[in-house]
Amino acid sequence: MPILQLSEVSRSFGQGARRVDAVREVSLQVDRGEVVALEGPSGSGKTTLLALAGALLTPTAGEILVDGEDITKYGARARTRYRRDRVGFVFQGSNMVPFLTARENLLLVGDFGAIDRPALRRRADELLEQLDLAGVRDQVATSLSGGERQRVAIARALMRDPTLLLVDEPTASLNFELGARVVDALLSEVHLRDKACIMVTHDDRMAQRADRLVEILDGAIVSDRPLR
Amino acid sequence: MLALLEIRRRKLQFGFVTGVVALIAYLIIMVTGLGLGLYDAAGTALLNLNGDHLAYAANSNFSVIRSRLAEADVAEVRALPGAEAATPIGYVAAVIEYAPEETDTAAIIGVIPGSFAEPEVVEGRPLGGPDEILIDRSWARLAGTRVGDSLALPIGFQTRNFTVAGIVDQGYFFFQPAMYVDIDSWQELNFQGDPADRPAASLVLLQGRDLDGLRGENWRVVTKEDGFNNIEGVQAQQSTVDALRYMGLLIGAMVIGVFFYVITLQKVSLLGVLKAIGAPGSYLIVQGLLQVLIVCALGAVIAVGLALLTEATVLASDAIPINFTTGAMTTASISVVIAGVVGSLLSARQVASVDPIIAMQQQ
Ligand SMILES: Nc1ncnc2c1ncn2[C@@H]1O[C@H](COP(=O)(O)OP(=O)(O)OP(=O)(O)O)[C@@H](O)[C@H]1O
Ligand SMILES: [Mg+2]
Repeated sequence: MPILQLSEVSRSFGQGARRVDAVREVSLQVDRGEVVALEGPSGSGKTTLLALAGALLTPTAGEILVDGEDITKYGARARTRYRRDRVGFVFQGSNMVPFLTARENLLLVGDFGAIDRPALRRRADELLEQLDLAGVRDQVATSLSGGERQRVAIARALMRDPTLLLVDEPTASLNFELGARVVDALLSEVHLRDKACIMVTHDDRMAQRADRLVEILDGAIVSDRPLR
Repeated sequence: MLALLEIRRRKLQFGFVTGVVALIAYLIIMVTGLGLGLYDAAGTALLNLNGDHLAYAANSNFSVIRSRLAEADVAEVRALPGAEAATPIGYVAAVIEYAPEETDTAAIIGVIPGSFAEPEVVEGRPLGGPDEILIDRSWARLAGTRVGDSLALPIGFQTRNFTVAGIVDQGYFFFQPAMYVDIDSWQELNFQGDPADRPAASLVLLQGRDLDGLRGENWRVVTKEDGFNNIEGVQAQQSTVDALRYMGLLIGAMVIGVFFYVITLQKVSLLGVLKAIGAPGSYLIVQGLLQVLIVCALGAVIAVGLALLTEATVLASDAIPINFTTGAMTTASISVVIAGVVGSLLSARQVASVDPIIAMQQQ
């Protein structure tokens, strides 16, 4: 069974003449241990698709199954819990808590409830080690470099051991070399931990590093092909 | 973790608000203390009288100053069926000379020596004759007057010396220290002319039940508390002080409210991210309220410290009518905390309304 399965999912914004169909009848599935690169021009609906998969938006039509469960039927609380426990988000810009250190940013997810604290601390240290962040673990987020910050964001997304990783342009603010390192770190974590991952990108060089490339145009998928 | 760490890492901002809250709380404690002090100065001596009702002259409009009762009125009140005990009291404000060229005004209260209107002495002995006086303790301390000293009071165009027999702690009356003399001496201090025409008392102090509202042709009985509230200026003074206190609380609530609202607005995008990664709204609101509570509680503690310091330094050496009671400080502190929480409810609403989708929309 795929981890994520979208069937004929649509999402529009606005009414009448101002209506925008951001996502149109998209069907897509992502398996365990698979990184899907989602590529498309600006305004093609990439972020909207990611927000739908992460239950930040509800679709206007279609169903979204995660581990076989339809998340579109969830109420507000279940959506929060779903994001907390089963989704790991990595956003585009800096989205660390600025006054917390790298390590505290990771441990913060323990405050959201339902988790074993000692296990969380072990996990934070392990992720900091693996993502080459051990040297900056006690540095306040604002003093980290862009690449370090994005790797902390990846570590944070993995803290609660989610099944699905949703990553929106993680390298937008980085140069190619740093970006490639961040993407490689992400890929190895997904493969190592057997997660499913959608990575949105503008940049074809980043997209080429994924397992599969899905291209989207005007809200509809126009191509879907494996890269290895 | 979030609330405490933010305070620790952003000491300057939080230190600043805490300081402002502390000053506001201090102001409120001062105003509350002033209210109590003025209240006491206005007439604790009256409230401390060992009775529960007072008879005033019918035409006095319950003013101690204007009330004058004749011998016959006093006798009538004394004979009331509900009155278990009754004794006349006289009041007059007089200038006392306690050292050469050193004068002060005092509330001279005339009582029948040995009656229940004569207060207990805390030092010395009770009134023993027409030329003796009981003086107020705090005034005695300020004036440096002791038991056995002599005070000069004017009678007509002359002065008469009174010997301090004892010291009492009845408080103030009309913002003057209360001092007690034999009611016959009071009569001489207050009225000249034919002794037969002089009023016998200002008031009659009564002990007994079901006396409130009783009236005769020339007198009216009210409770001691009603009598107190009718002291000239007491009502206006207390409402002024209360208005100041509520203003202080309002300003405090607004300052705290605005501060937390602004720092919440600054954090909207961060709150969106935290909600997106699964932070429940209730968690974020609790963190915010925790900060408000910490800031307000710390501010209140600092304010109480400042108040105690003021009490030990400025107030100890002067006759400023500010009264710091534990009650006043507790009430002021709790009020500040409540005002802070109320002021920050707007921020709580703001936190609740942040849509986590904004985490994905920012560039
Ligand atoms: N909340 C919204 N209200 C109205 N229109 C929206 C909203 N969110 C997205 N859209 C519209 O939906 C379309 C797709 O937006 P989306 O953000 O998904 O694009 P994107 O592929 O992520 O673009 P980019 O590469 O610039 O980030 C755009 O035309 C956008 O204007
Ligand atoms: Mg986008």
